[in-house]
Amino acid sequence: MDCQDAKEKLLESYDGALSPDDRRRLDSHLAACPECGEFNNLLNALDVSLREAIVLPQLSAGFRTALQAKIERHSRRLWLDWLPDAAYVVGSVAAIVYCVVLLPPPASVVLWIGTLTAAIGYSFQALLLGSLEEA
Amino acid sequence: MMKDEDVDTLLRSRRYEDAFGLLLDRYQEKVFRLAFSVLKDAGRAEEVTQDIFLKLWQALPLYDGRASLSTWLYTIARNRCFSAFRREAIRNSPPIEACGEPARNETVSQRVEVRQLLERLPRLQQEAITLFYLEDESIQNVARILGLPEGTVKSHLHRARRALAEMMRS
Repeated sequence: MDCQDAKEKLLESYDGALSPDDRRRLDSHLAACPECGEFNNLLNALDVSLREAIVLPQLSAGFRTALQAKIERHSRRLWLDWLPDAAYVVGSVAAIVYCVVLLPPPASVVLWIGTLTAAIGYSFQALLLGSLEEA
Repeated sequence: MMKDEDVDTLLRSRRYEDAFGLLLDRYQEKVFRLAFSVLKDAGRAEEVTQDIFLKLWQALPLYDGRASLSTWLYTIARNRCFSAFRREAIRNSPPIEACGEPARNETVSQRVEVRQLLERLPRLQQEAITLFYLEDESIQNVARILGLPEGTVKSHLHRARRALAEMMRS
């Protein structure tokens, strides 16, 4: 085993056990090579430092309560998010009915024009809101 | 011990609250570790973990069983973590001169120094090595959480250790 192989095997050894044969060859190389021995010490020191440095903080005790509150807030907001759309649809239908009853042209023409205008207005509003949210 | 199949059964019978409770019991810590490995800040990681489970709660009725529950959940979690990371990177990007070199002072603890060195690695290597130690050195868990093959995770760990060793030596 040369130094290059020994260093590769040393790096591999931290991610899983080496085969007994690789272990034996690596150990005999390390016993004879000060440079690889030094690399081994460096990797050991690094492993210890990483183990000490990477410590998981705990989730706070209020995690579940806060999550529950967030879910409830969001469920309410979902309903509120739909309100402007609902108001738009109700308003448009009321305006169309009003026009159908009051305007002289045939009801079907007024109905088509009213529906088309409402749909175009809604699409325009949705596009505008979308671009504002992205900004 | 709860298994993902138990959650599957609950989802099929549309018992979303029960399924959600089981998922929280099983995955909240793991998702938190993922968020922490990406964001490196416990407070933000907890906030993002809440967002991930809120998203999961909304998406539960849409789960179709094509991917395993853990794969599905980790995909949602990774996407949320990375978008939070991107948002914060844009918001908090420090001036180049503020990044500096890691501390050379002998009195500075090794712990601080190794954290500084970690920050100089590519993001995926940082996440792989952080998760490796947070997940009790299980390559299998790290691979599942990051959605990568085990061989790829090993290769990231390998490169990360080599780079860190070089930095420590220099």
